[in-house]
Parts: sequence; C-alpha cells; structure tokens
Amino acid sequence: MKPRLGFFDFTGCEGCQLEVINFEIELVELLELVDIVNFREAMTEKGEDYEIAFIDGAITTESDISRIKEIREQAKIVVAMGACASLGGVNCLKNFRPMEENLKIVYGDCAGYYNTIPARPVSAVVPVEYELPGCPMNRYEFLKLAKALLLGKKFELPNYPVCVECKMVGNVCVFDKGGFCLGPVTRAGCSAICVTTGRHCWGCRGLVDDPNVNSEKEILQKHGLTVDDILNQFRIFNGYLEVSK
Amino acid sequence: MENRIIEKQNMDVFVNNLINSDAEVVGAKRKDGKYAFGKLADATELCLDYDLALYPPKSYLLPPKETLIKFELGEELEAEPVVEAERVILFGVHPYDIKAIELLDVAFSGTNPDINYLSRRAKVTIIGIDCLNPNPNAFCASLGTATTDTGFDLMLTDIGASYVVAIGSSEGEELLGKYAVTREATQSELVQRDEQRQKALAKYKVALSMSAEDLPELLDKSWDSPVFKEKSEKCLSCGSCVMVCPTCFCFDVQDDIALNLKQGERYRQWDGCMLVDFALVAGGENFRRDSETRFRHRMYRKGKYLWERYGKLGCVGCGRCASACLAEIASPAETFNTLKEERRQHD
Ligand code: SF4
Ligand code: SF4
Ligand code: SF4
Ligand code: SF4
Ligand code: SF4
Repeated sequence: MKPRLGFFDFTGCEGCQLEVINFEIELVELLELVDIVNFREAMTEKGEDYEIAFIDGAITTESDISRIKEIREQAKIVVAMGACASLGGVNCLKNFRPMEENLKIVYGDCAGYYNTIPARPVSAVVPVEYELPGCPMNRYEFLKLAKALLLGKKFELPNYPVCVECKMVGNVCVFDKGGFCLGPVTRAGCSAICVTTGRHCWGCRGLVDDPNVNSEKEILQKHGLTVDDILNQFRIFNGYLEVSK
Repeated sequence: MENRIIEKQNMDVFVNNLINSDAEVVGAKRKDGKYAFGKLADATELCLDYDLALYPPKSYLLPPKETLIKFELGEELEAEPVVEAERVILFGVHPYDIKAIELLDVAFSGTNPDINYLSRRAKVTIIGIDCLNPNPNAFCASLGTATTDTGFDLMLTDIGASYVVAIGSSEGEELLGKYAVTREATQSELVQRDEQRQKALAKYKVALSMSAEDLPELLDKSWDSPVFKEKSEKCLSCGSCVMVCPTCFCFDVQDDIALNLKQGERYRQWDGCMLVDFALVAGGENFRRDSETRFRHRMYRKGKYLWERYGKLGCVGCGRCASACLAEIASPAETFNTLKEERRQHD
C-alpha cells in the first residue's frame, strides 16, 4: 500500500503548498508512489487516514494548537514545511508587540471577536520529525525528503552556512559590495539564491546547528549596523529564537 | 627555455584567435568591482593586470559539484562512470595559482589516480602571467610562489610595451606559432623581465617572519599554542577560507536517486575541514567538533601535513582566505608569524 500524505495549512501564505503544486511533472511521478488524501490547496476531498502530515504555516491561535495536536495524533510522521512552520518565520514579528495591539491594528473595532497568541513554530507545540525550512521551502529538498522516506534512508539538512554555497556558485560577497548578510549563520540548502540574484541572505532557512552569532553580530556592527538594526534583521525570519531578543 | 615577444597591440589578436579555436578560453574578468575567472567571449573582457581573482581557476579542474557515476537499481545493479572533460585554455594565471595546480596534480595522481581530475587536467592549457601588482593580503614572496619556472605552457610578463613569453611546453609553442604574432626576445627585454619581477617582489605587504622550510618544525612545536583558541573564537565555520583556496581539494561523495527510485547518480561536491560536520563519521563521532581543533587542523594542513606528504606546502600565499574571511582570522601568514613570535619568547 502506498504511503498516505496529508497537507495542512496554518498561518502562512500557503506559498509552500504552492511549491508542491508547482512541481507538475514530478508531482505526477510522486503520485505513483504515494496517495495524497488531504490537500485543501489542490483538492476538495478530505481523508483523515494520512500517515505523513506536511504542515505549512505557523501556530498563531488557540485553535491552531488543538488542530495541530489532532494532526499529530493521527500522523506517524509530521513534517514542517517552510520558514513559518519550522521557525515561526515572519509571523513572529508580531511577538514584539502586545497581542491586543496586534488585534487592533488588524481588525480595528472588531478586535474583540478574535484571539491571537504569540506566533511559534510547529515544534514548539508538538514533536516534529522533519523540517524543511526556507521561505518558501526548497521544493527539491521536499523531493529529497520524500525519496528518503520512501527508501527508508536518512534525511538531513545541510549543517553549514549559506556562505559555502555562495562560494560554490562564485558570488562576490555582499560585504565586499558595501552591504551586509546573514549568510554566515544561516543554514545552507538554497544555493545562496538571494545573493546570486543581487540581494543578501535574510536567514529564511534558520540558523545552522551551532551558529557563531556573537561573531556575526560583531561583523555586522563593523559594517555599520546598529544593535537595533541587527536585531531587526534577525527578527525577519528568526524572531522566535533567542538571537532576536 | 625559449622566450618570444608579443607586442601589446598584438595581444588581442592572439586572445581572439584562441577564442575562435576549438577550446574554451577562460581568463580574469571584472565582476562587481573584483576579478573572477570566467569564459571569455572577446579579448576586451580579459584583464591581465589584475591583482587577485576572487576564486582560483581550480573549478575548471575540480568543479564544485560533479557526477562520478550513473547507476540503475534492478535485479542487478548497473553502474557507469561519468568522465566529462572539455578543452580549456586558462589565460593569465598567476604563478601562485600555477603552483597550486602543481600540488593538485600530485594529490590527484598519487596512489589513487583520480580519473575525473586527470581527464580534465589533460585538456587544460595554462598560459600564465607574472603578477606585478600583488594583492595586499598575499605573501607569495615568502613562499617562493611569486614566480614559477614550471607548470605552464606559456608564461607572460608585462614589460611595458610588450609581453615576454616564456615557452614551457611544445603545446604552448604550437599555440604561439599558430595563433600569435611574435618575434625573438632581445637580451635587454629579458633583463627588463627580471627587473619587473624584482620590483613586484618588493611590493608584497605581508611576509612570513621565517623561511617557509621552517614551518613544519615550527608547527611541530606549537600544538598547544593559545593562538588557535584565541582566533577560532571568532570563527563562523563558514568555510569561505577553504572554498576560495587554490590548494584545498577536499570533497564529499553523495548518492542521489530519481523519483522513479531506479536511476541515480553518485556525485561529489566541495567540502572543507572548517565545516562543522567535516570530521563527523558513522556512529555520530566528530573528531574535530570544536572550532579550535578545526582552525588548528587547517593551519597544520597548510604548513606541515601536505609538506610531509607531498613535499609541497599546502599554501601558496595568494591571500584569498584572508580576503574572504569576514572574521579576519584566516590568514595563515598571520597565525604562523604569531606562532613564531611565541617561540621566540619561549626559547
Ligand atoms: S554574500 Fe553572504 S552568504 Fe555569500 S559569502 Fe558573503 S556573507 Fe556569506
Ligand atoms: S539566501 Fe538566505 S534568505 Fe535567501 S533563500 Fe537562502 S537562506 Fe533564505
Ligand atoms: S576562518 Fe574565517 S573564513 Fe574560515 S571558516 Fe572561520 S570565519 Fe569562515
Ligand atoms: S591558505 Fe589562504 S593564502 Fe594559502 S593558498 Fe589557501 S587561500 Fe591562499
Ligand atoms: S583539509 Fe582543509 S585545508 Fe584542506 S584541503 Fe581539505 S579543506 Fe582544504
């Protein structure tokens, strides 16, 4: 019997689910190997007998908490897809403001009808087997995980910084062009795409296992950033982490 | 060694003739205010007076990622080696980078000849050029890598109105005869070449405070030096220093399989001893788990281990690591000089 997958969206832009749909050819191949029983973005039927749950979006309401716990109970394997589900991502920007204020900004007079809690990654609520960070997640990494699960092989994220891949593609370092970059502490796996396309790394894949954050902060300061600037940079995707506080 | 002259106004013709030949011509080009090797479409792109290319020409011999084997799973495993090699002319390689390629040649041809490397190498022609404007981080003069008598097919030196061309191989001679307008070099032009080289030697800003041959012994006595811990505290384990190094040749081998779960490939990809998981082995043991031991290991590779193994130092003094390291700790010269100073105080 083919493994049954479910896709579930929480608070995020659903860009990670779109990444899966965008596969086209590979998706057809993948469907020969697995059954997708629940995928709101792509189909209307809903099955509850999934074994592997792919989650996108962060946990940001009380009802999110109970829903993710139910999913966890059903699924043998839970995978957090994208920066929101695996890191909290941009959702955590709101954590630096009182929740009532957030509600007022978004819902105005109707604020009283809604609830919101500080945003958090899935792993802050239930145990997670795999994380596919990135905003959006890297769909080739998604395939790599799918193949590893199907073959019963080990799956690991790169545990070296973006700089490694940035050097492999032959970029000029952003710091050498007068800019700044979170690449030295950010987990690789994206081929340093943002630097290659002329910007810098904002850390959307989260930090490597043992980042030298102090050294990175010192370097950013040497290149003209204030302590506030630095925190604001880290908060874009990594607001849930200690480094941003 | 025979020497010829190419007048400056004839250089573009030579380069363009090579570009129009069957080989890919690679040279230093401008990139975001720096220099980087890349495929030339026209002679006007080529910079011959560059100080340092961000990356060495190593990737034309050892690409960052390359397929080694294609396989198919089934009743019986089918596997086929993949060896890809194109004709490449590296135009304008500095002596230190040539010395680094000589080290790679030894490392990849020894007890376990590397067919992928050697096939590429056999198709690479090296046209060198003396480096007359050393990079501020370079210390080639201390390592004997500022000039070279070996390792090239042709070697150019800018003497003002023209280039002296030393011929290092019959292939170089053939290229020159076929594609360039040259004439005999006069005695005075050869003297000018020596003068240019001498002048360049005086321009190096970084120097070792000892002779290169003393490095292995110095390191032998420095295992417990505090400098490794001190410097490595700032280390990001980002690998930039090893990725840009012309003599670093470490790689990791991985398998990848297609979605049909049948066809797959085995590939290799650059790796480096400054990365956290480099020394991670099966069972989860990492025998260089902290940045201090990794930092020290790299210095020993550069100044001792490769010397003992190949009779060549693992560093050619190009200064790329020092330029690339955001934490400003990667220069081997700086560490070696600190160790020397420690010894001096100790003895
Ligand atoms: S641009 Fe960023 S990722 Fe690339 S080498 Fe520089 S710091 Fe590292
Ligand atoms: S370069 Fe940085 S911000 Fe861009 S995709 Fe990679 S990890 Fe994310
Ligand atoms: S020495 Fe510098 S370039 Fe090398 S890994 Fe450490 S921080 Fe990165
Ligand atoms: S260790 Fe540094 S200076 Fe020495 S060859 Fe490598 S990059 Fe150049
Ligand atoms: S051991 Fe380190 S210094 Fe070296 S060749 Fe490998 S990566 Fe380079």
